[in-house]
Amino acid sequence: MKPLHYLTLVLLIMAVIIAFVPQNTTRPYKLTAAQLLEEIRTGTQFISPDEVADKIIKKDPSIQLIDVRNPREFDQFSLPGAVNIPLQDILSENYFDILNQGTKMNIFYSNGSTEANEAWLLTRQLGYQNNYVLQGGLNYWMETVLNPLKPGSISSNDEIARYDFRKAASMALGGGDATSVAPAASAGTTSTPKPVIIPVKKKKKAAGGC
Amino acid sequence: MGPLAINDIISQNTNFLLAFVIGIGFGFVLEQCGFSSSRKLAGLFYGYDMVVLKVFFTGGVTAMLGLLFFSLFGWVDLNLVYVNPTFLTSAIVGGLIMGVGFIMGGFCPGTSFCGAAIGKIDAMIFIIGLFIGVYFFAFGYPMFETLYKASFLGSPKFSTMVGLSDGVFAFLLIVVALGMFYVSEWVEKKFPQEEY
Repeated sequence: MKPLHYLTLVLLIMAVIIAFVPQNTTRPYKLTAAQLLEEIRTGTQFISPDEVADKIIKKDPSIQLIDVRNPREFDQFSLPGAVNIPLQDILSENYFDILNQGTKMNIFYSNGSTEANEAWLLTRQLGYQNNYVLQGGLNYWMETVLNPLKPGSISSNDEIARYDFRKAASMALGGGDATSVAPAASAGTTSTPKPVIIPVKKKKKAAGGC
Repeated sequence: MGPLAINDIISQNTNFLLAFVIGIGFGFVLEQCGFSSSRKLAGLFYGYDMVVLKVFFTGGVTAMLGLLFFSLFGWVDLNLVYVNPTFLTSAIVGGLIMGVGFIMGGFCPGTSFCGAAIGKIDAMIFIIGLFIGVYFFAFGYPMFETLYKASFLGSPKFSTMVGLSDGVFAFLLIVVALGMFYVSEWVEKKFPQEEY
C-alpha cells in the first residue's frame, strides 16, 4: 500500500468515529477537592460585615452585593445596590457575566451564611474569581451593623472604636434604634440598580499565520 | 485539563518556552516539506506542485481531529481554546494582498524566515519588504482602522454557521481533504515537473 492509502484509511476511521460520538460539552471543575477544602478551612471567602458596611457607605464601585435568597425575601429587604440571584438560578446563563468576571468583588449574602456559602462553593468550583461571602449573613449584619451592642465601660479602645463605626454605619444604612427590620419599607420601594458588568477578556494568545 | 496556560497548569514563561520549541519544530517541518523553495510555493498557484495544499490540509485535519478527540477524552476544554476573531472585510482585502505578495515574492511570511534561515537571499529581501509593510500598516493604522474593523463577526466556527455538529463537520472536511489529496496526486502525475 502507498502512504496515501494508509493516511486515507486512518483519517477515514477517525473521521467516522468523531462524526458519531457525542460532543463533549462538560465544563470541568477547576479546583480539586483538597484545594477547595483548604480554602474552606482557612475561610478566605469570608468578608466581615464591618468591611462590607464600610464599602457600602463609601459607595465603593468595586463591590457587587449578590442576594442569593428568593425574590420575595429580596423585595422585603436587601442591602443597598444588591442584585438578586436566587441560589437555584446560580448556574443560569443570564448571571454568567456577573458571577464570572475579574473586575468587581462579588459578595454573596443570605439570611445565615449557609446559602451564600453554597453559592460561593459552586462558583468557586467552576473556577470563577472574586466571589466572597458576607460573614454570618444578614442575621449577623443586623446584630453587628444595624443594632450594635454598646460595649461595656471597661472595653478596649478597639472595641469602642468598632462600636462607634457600627453606630455610624447603622445610621447611614438606616438601622439605628429600630430593632426590627426597619429598612424594609424604604428598600422595597427603591428599585435596585443594575450594575454595569464589564466582562473579562480571556487572555488571548498571539495568533499565528503560516 | 487543557489549555495548559489558561488553566494555570503551566506558567506564562513555560508557555513561551513551549511556544519557542513548537516554533522551531514548525520551522523545521516547513523546511523539510520544501517550503523554503519559492518555486514549490508558487507551484500551487501555477498547478504543477500541490505539496503546499497537502501539507496544510494534513496539518489542519490532524489538529482538528486531535482537538476533537482530546475534548472527547476530557483533556482539553474547547470553550477555552482561542478562536481567531473574524473581520470579514479585512480578511478578504488582506487575503488578496497576501495572495498577490505570495506569488510576487514567492514566500509567505513564515516560509520567508525558513528560506532566510538556510541562506536564501530572495527570502531575506522578502523579509525586508515584509517589515516595510508592517511599519506602513502600523504607522498608517488610523487610515486603515475603519476598513480593518469592518464587518466583525465575532469568533464564529464554520460548523455552527452551517448548523452541523463539530464531529459531522470534521467528517465532511476530512472527506474533502482526502478527495483533494487524490486529485493533487493525479495532477502531479499528469503534469510532472522537474524538482529544483
